[in-house]
Amino acid sequence: MTRYLCHRLLALIPVMAVVVTVVFLLIHLIPGDPVSVMLGPDATANQIQATRRALGLDRPLHEQLLKFYARVLRGDLGQSYFLDRPVTTALRERAEPTLVLTLAALLVAVAIGVPSGILAGASRGSPWDRTLMTGALLGVCIPGFWLSLNFIYLFAVRLGWLPAAGYASVFVDPVAALRHMVLPAVSLGFNQSALIARIARSCMLEVLQQDYIRTARAKGLSQRVVVYVHAFRNALVPVTTVIGITMAILIGGAVVTEIVFNIPGLGRLIISAILRRDYPVVQGVVLVTAASYVLINLAVDCVYAFIDPRIRYD
Amino acid sequence: MSQRVVSRMVAVLVVIMFSLAAPGFAQTPKKGGIIRVGLLGEPPALDAHWTTAVITEVLTNHLYEGLYSLDENYRPIPMLAESMPTVSRDGLTYTFKLRQGIKFHNGKEMTSEDVVPSLKRWGQRSIRAKALFASLADLRAVDKYTVEMRLKEKSAVVVISLAVPGNFGAIYPKEIAEKFPAENKITEYVGTGPFKLAEWKPDQYIRMVRFDDYKPRVEKASGYGGAKVAYVDEIRWMPVPDVATRVAQIETGELDIAEDLNLDAYERLRRNANVRPLVAKPYFWLVAVFNKKEGIGTNQKIRQAWQAAVDIEPIMKAVAGGRTEFYRMDSSLVFAEIAEWHTKLSGLPWNERNKEKAKRLLQEAGYKGQPFRFMATQEYKWMYDFALLTKQQLEDVGFNIDLQVVDWSTLVQRRNNPKEYDAFTTGIGMSAMYDPTHHDVVSCGWPGWNCDEEVQSIQAELAKETDPKKRYALWEKQTRLFYEKVPVIRYGDLFGLRAIRTSVKDFNPKTERIRLFNAWLDK
Repeated sequence: MTRYLCHRLLALIPVMAVVVTVVFLLIHLIPGDPVSVMLGPDATANQIQATRRALGLDRPLHEQLLKFYARVLRGDLGQSYFLDRPVTTALRERAEPTLVLTLAALLVAVAIGVPSGILAGASRGSPWDRTLMTGALLGVCIPGFWLSLNFIYLFAVRLGWLPAAGYASVFVDPVAALRHMVLPAVSLGFNQSALIARIARSCMLEVLQQDYIRTARAKGLSQRVVVYVHAFRNALVPVTTVIGITMAILIGGAVVTEIVFNIPGLGRLIISAILRRDYPVVQGVVLVTAASYVLINLAVDCVYAFIDPRIRYD
Repeated sequence: MSQRVVSRMVAVLVVIMFSLAAPGFAQTPKKGGIIRVGLLGEPPALDAHWTTAVITEVLTNHLYEGLYSLDENYRPIPMLAESMPTVSRDGLTYTFKLRQGIKFHNGKEMTSEDVVPSLKRWGQRSIRAKALFASLADLRAVDKYTVEMRLKEKSAVVVISLAVPGNFGAIYPKEIAEKFPAENKITEYVGTGPFKLAEWKPDQYIRMVRFDDYKPRVEKASGYGGAKVAYVDEIRWMPVPDVATRVAQIETGELDIAEDLNLDAYERLRRNANVRPLVAKPYFWLVAVFNKKEGIGTNQKIRQAWQAAVDIEPIMKAVAGGRTEFYRMDSSLVFAEIAEWHTKLSGLPWNERNKEKAKRLLQEAGYKGQPFRFMATQEYKWMYDFALLTKQQLEDVGFNIDLQVVDWSTLVQRRNNPKEYDAFTTGIGMSAMYDPTHHDVVSCGWPGWNCDEEVQSIQAELAKETDPKKRYALWEKQTRLFYEKVPVIRYGDLFGLRAIRTSVKDFNPKTERIRLFNAWLDK
């Protein structure tokens, strides 16, 4: 297992190198210029040129790329053009809101998705199955922003139960943090629960057709014991993969939810950085997101071994 | 006392009591509270010298002050200067007396030692200082509270340049003005304004707290100047990028002021008893700016054909969501709010809606249907809407418009390269209009490059001529020339929508950009 982990962690290095290079080239090759945005609409060409020089943006691309590699190797992701702070500081500040949102939304997604999928799979063709899968279909189809805006209108504007938007740190004011997190977590979690429910259902159906389940039933075990004791654990392996992927998606991809609910997380950071062409920030966020993907997948692989002791990595 | 007199006195008393109870009656301002303002985004810098970005203008005017400011008619009035400058007989030497006992946020007194390096830094950096510094010979401190400016030639723009609120001549402490060269933005935020910076958490908030040592001027508040009193303990500027969220948050009371709202939210906000939707007047003129350096846009007849073809009112109405309170039809090159420079010329070829003339001009220009690259963006919905409607109208008379929709960052980069476009969309705000010499549309350095000799010679005269009547006549001449040369298509004036909670009192809705000194909270 240790050897496997080391191998996977070493594989992270080329992945990161490729991701960083591709992102660097993409963001620099698309049109747009941070300096024009920074200096405002009335800036003259001379002012723009002078600031480009000051930021080193007038240097050839390969030179900028080499400098960037050198900095990354020293653990320095550069200085944001707009935020007046190092990229690593900006990333640290944004990590908390994104992680809190990710975990809360994942909790909602799992709480809705797994029981729905198991129940639907165990009672295939029943009204329960049809109702739950219609719900899952809605979860897949309803755009996240639409759901979020309607939640805001209903629960914040009309009923006044919860704040419309904003973020409070769990370490500063846990009650306010909870109140601010309910709507974004539910709207994002509901969307994500759909995939988990559908995968859980299909895995459950597959497991329930296995010979050992037929044997368990032949022994006279109740449906409840068959489903929850014998089938459930075996159906969990693919579901765990989906939950892992969902978590990775949420870390880098809760962009719409973060914007609509005004949560200062990584998703919002990267969108504003792209729009302003804040190159160092874009590169930093992509680097962190890519590393998260790889590490979460690695963690999921490790979890397999605990769920199913037959899985070995040695 | 007769019964008649008594009953009269009772009646008067009743009237007075009702007046006091009436909601419109002026209440005594209260100190305290936090005003939360929802903005579109983050400022690129909090250095007033460094950028022309509107959001920087709004925020920095609460932190810093210049020697002069603008009154309700957008004319210069003293701010850190004690009075208007004294000018020598030859018009070449300006002497500025500074107010005494004015403290910076760091406790240091503001003196001429701070003013000189601040203005020199501003002169190197700001587009608003360009005309003034072109004629500057020397700037020096005469004594602790006196600054002298000597010019190489007479200039009409000394005081107005020092008074404009955008990209303005903010006075920083000497140490900061000298520590940060003009090409680097300052990152230590110390000014003399009624609020001081407490905390900046990007994408969360910028907190400004009341500066208790602030000494307001004795004159009453007027426009951007006069007495500034910070009643609220704190202003919290919060970037809320999604416009629907800003609308929801002003309705729920999470925001006290929301800026840049979509015009279609107007009715919804009007129905909320706790919110006042305000027409932000003026906002921008809509313009299509031609590339006059290269390509099809250099052909004056083609530009004239565009001007002749467009029917402006339906375009403005559509952009304003069908509501007449959000646009104004006007051909003057300066908003009506700046009465000093607003013109009322008749017979200008503006909004002609003359398709036949447009077709004839295209024919005379030798136009053969080559694609006309018109750059627009969807990041500002109004820019995209008017570009799209313009394209339809122009294609009716024979133009072949290649509408290139890009993000704002790309547009502002590409518009500096004459090879990339033939025309682009943008909006011209009031900051370019306080004086004709500041106007973008007649500038040779601004994208589109209006370097026409006749135009530039009038601009040079405007910069030197100090007689107001002669300057106004020159500006009228420039306006006529504008409609003949057509460097830019001037559409109508668009207004914006902002909203405030009814608990915000004494907010001045008349200034183009918001200012929160003198506003207070009744919560």
